[in-house]
Amino acid sequence: MSEIAPAEIPQGSNEPVDEGPVWARRTSALWVRYTSSSPIVIAALAVFLGLVFGAIIIATTTPAVLDAWRSIFHHWSGLPVAIKVTFDNVGSAYRAIFTGSVVDPQGFWHSLTTGKGWPNTLTPISETFTYATPLVIVSIGVGIAFQTGLFNIGANGQAVIGGIAGAAVGSMLHLPTILHLPLTLLGGIAGGMLCGALPGVLKAYTGAHEVIVTLMFNYVTYAFLLYAVLSTPFQQPGQSNDIGRTMDPSAILAPLFGTKSGLRVSYGVFVAAAVVVFAWWLLDRSSMGFDFRVTGANPAAARASGINGRRVIVVVFLISGGLAGLAGLVQVASTTHYIDGGFLIGNAGIGFTAITVALLGRNRPMGIVWASLLFAALGVGGRNMQASTGIPLDLATVIQSAIVLFVATPVLVKEIFRLRAAPTATVQLATKGWGS
Amino acid sequence: MSLVSTTPVATTTPIIKSARTRVIAVIMAVIGLFSFVVFGLGSTVRSHAALSFTPLNLVNAPWHLGSLTVATRWTDIVLSLIIVALAAEVFIRQPSRGVMPRFGIAAILFLVTLLFWAARTDGPSQVNSVNVTSILVGCSATVMVLVFGSLSGVMCERAGVVNIAIEGQFIAGAFLGSMIASTTGNFFYAAIAGAVVGGLIGLVLAFFALRYQSDQIIVGIVLVTMLSSLSSYLNLQVFTPFPNFNTGNLASNLAIPILSKIPIIGPVLFNQSAFFYLMIVLVAVVSFALFKTRYGLHVRAVGEHPRAAATVGINVVRVRYINVVLGGAIAGIGGVAFMATQGQFQVGYTSGLGYIALAALIFGRWRPSGAVVASIIFGLTVYLSYELVTYQVPVSLYFLQMIPYLITIGVVAGLIGRVRPPAADGQPYLRD
Repeated sequence: MSEIAPAEIPQGSNEPVDEGPVWARRTSALWVRYTSSSPIVIAALAVFLGLVFGAIIIATTTPAVLDAWRSIFHHWSGLPVAIKVTFDNVGSAYRAIFTGSVVDPQGFWHSLTTGKGWPNTLTPISETFTYATPLVIVSIGVGIAFQTGLFNIGANGQAVIGGIAGAAVGSMLHLPTILHLPLTLLGGIAGGMLCGALPGVLKAYTGAHEVIVTLMFNYVTYAFLLYAVLSTPFQQPGQSNDIGRTMDPSAILAPLFGTKSGLRVSYGVFVAAAVVVFAWWLLDRSSMGFDFRVTGANPAAARASGINGRRVIVVVFLISGGLAGLAGLVQVASTTHYIDGGFLIGNAGIGFTAITVALLGRNRPMGIVWASLLFAALGVGGRNMQASTGIPLDLATVIQSAIVLFVATPVLVKEIFRLRAAPTATVQLATKGWGS
Repeated sequence: MSLVSTTPVATTTPIIKSARTRVIAVIMAVIGLFSFVVFGLGSTVRSHAALSFTPLNLVNAPWHLGSLTVATRWTDIVLSLIIVALAAEVFIRQPSRGVMPRFGIAAILFLVTLLFWAARTDGPSQVNSVNVTSILVGCSATVMVLVFGSLSGVMCERAGVVNIAIEGQFIAGAFLGSMIASTTGNFFYAAIAGAVVGGLIGLVLAFFALRYQSDQIIVGIVLVTMLSSLSSYLNLQVFTPFPNFNTGNLASNLAIPILSKIPIIGPVLFNQSAFFYLMIVLVAVVSFALFKTRYGLHVRAVGEHPRAAATVGINVVRVRYINVVLGGAIAGIGGVAFMATQGQFQVGYTSGLGYIALAALIFGRWRPSGAVVASIIFGLTVYLSYELVTYQVPVSLYFLQMIPYLITIGVVAGLIGRVRPPAADGQPYLRD
């Protein structure tokens, strides 16, 4: 699990011929790397396979496509039309995902030539970043736990509690921004830590499997969320619905380009950037992070070399939970500014998406950033696809889970594309059962 | 790794066990005292409530018990004291067997006291009669689904494969079941379709877990995510434009001639849909197959020590494939059964029952009989936490909804009894 992207191509059987000019050797080395089963290639091909899977689903469930294929039973001449209709439908769906999450080329050209309509043109990419910001934070928390060999399936619950705690601080205290915003952020972290501590302590001292505990805790936190948004101190005054208090303007993460631009991307991106730097430092530069990775790679060796396994488990769950809580808070503070009964439920459950993001990003901070952007784009673009083509948004989640299924099974991808063995061994997550 | 972690447990078992028995006793005592103080002494209003035993679903019941009016406050006090007495008995005698059943009795008594208390509490819509029969009949549907799910888990995990995808199999079974039941009007075909789709999902899980040694927990969770969003996707693509695929007719009840006339128990156990009887048969078949047959011995060997099993000539991978597919089929039928009691397929309407079934499996210590007991306790709790809304209880029901999950956390943490999964549960098997 402590894999690091290979800096150079090590010696091996697929080493290119050591002759010829330097540029040729370099190209050849790149070729070997990118036709092998190196993690980056696997991830890219998994994304491709996921998109193909999505295309198959669109083609087999869209009524227009099915009608076109039915016509070939009457006469063969319908075949080209059927193929064309299939590709048109799949193409328009994926085009809608792209224009809804990155940029609409027409609008971009219009803005570029006339200098007008920039807010509209930039809205899709701004939305993608808005969605990706908390996702990066929570996924890094999950990724750190994965690197230590721990599953934090409860990130969603921790994010919910963090969001509630942070929103409570942000709405019930009234302070100047310089104090209020940090306190709100700390409130989110503390809420998540509190919720993450329990599975950690139980795992460390009683051996309770963290998957079951965190899974169960998710449901406990949902019940608590519904209780909180309907309880007198936290409910929006004058409301009888499940809506919490609105945060003070001094506690929110303001839009990066001002409220007038209409772009929602907020100062939260700096929080996410800080988390990425923190995670990089923790995992690659600190001795504590080294302990984490050793514990994840080989618990027996870690114990033998004097690493306190219990402490590692508890600390990792505190960090992981704290980051999840921070993510939940960033989600509230940068979008709605209040919590309702549907907070982070269903498609919005970033804590569940985080598991898939962390796996796709191979638990590395930068890998997680790219994976978050991709999944955020799929989610945001999916909304546009639903609006413009009528294909339900849930397709985005289906594609995401297909991608992760392939990422979690590198051998399968390797077999499908007949890839060579990687220059460095491909790393699979350590598999373990309930007992360990 | 597992070797290292089990060694200290084995040496200190007697001490830990007595300590844990005491912990259970203390938890039971807390429950009993809580219901004594809060339900027995706390609330003063309207101290009488009626228990009615209206025979449901039976047109010509030869019996009519009418209703039994009891002084609920005294009943609550007596029941709480029974819980406390049970706790004291466990604490002092520390029986080597039967601690968990006592805990189960205490949990159910607690729910009954809660119900009495709810029935006499003032509220905008005063309900002061508790229809015992309707509560039991209502919760039997939830219990049935949980039993299907946890039996599926028993099948898979006894062979050493963690099936976290039970929830996904429920969803797929319910979706396809609704489609087939609506088009053919026959739940037999629906059940077969559910079994096939559940088995296929099991096959996918087994394929990734056994052929590629992928992490079973990750594959399971990803499968649940995929199936729940796929069902939501197909719901919009298929069921919304073609509502006649999702008419949601319920499975009809088959009353067993004489037995169904027994007061209270009759309507609950002997006037149910075919799925309920199938569930009872499956519990018996799975228990028998796992613990009394040669094949069951193979399965358990594969789940405990695959290498040893392979040495004596058992085909580990084949046994695991068969069990995971069969387990998936059982969970798929469970999804159809859920749909047959709830009606129309809706997005997210299994609401995590698959995970509660997983919890029931653990609480029931990976045994079919234990899974049934756990399913009854969890099913009653889940059902009551939603049903008590009509009683206008002055406490938040959301805390009641947490109970099954908190119990499960207590169980896996070893606070309530000691559980031990099959030794090779979730471990990949690498052929030499």
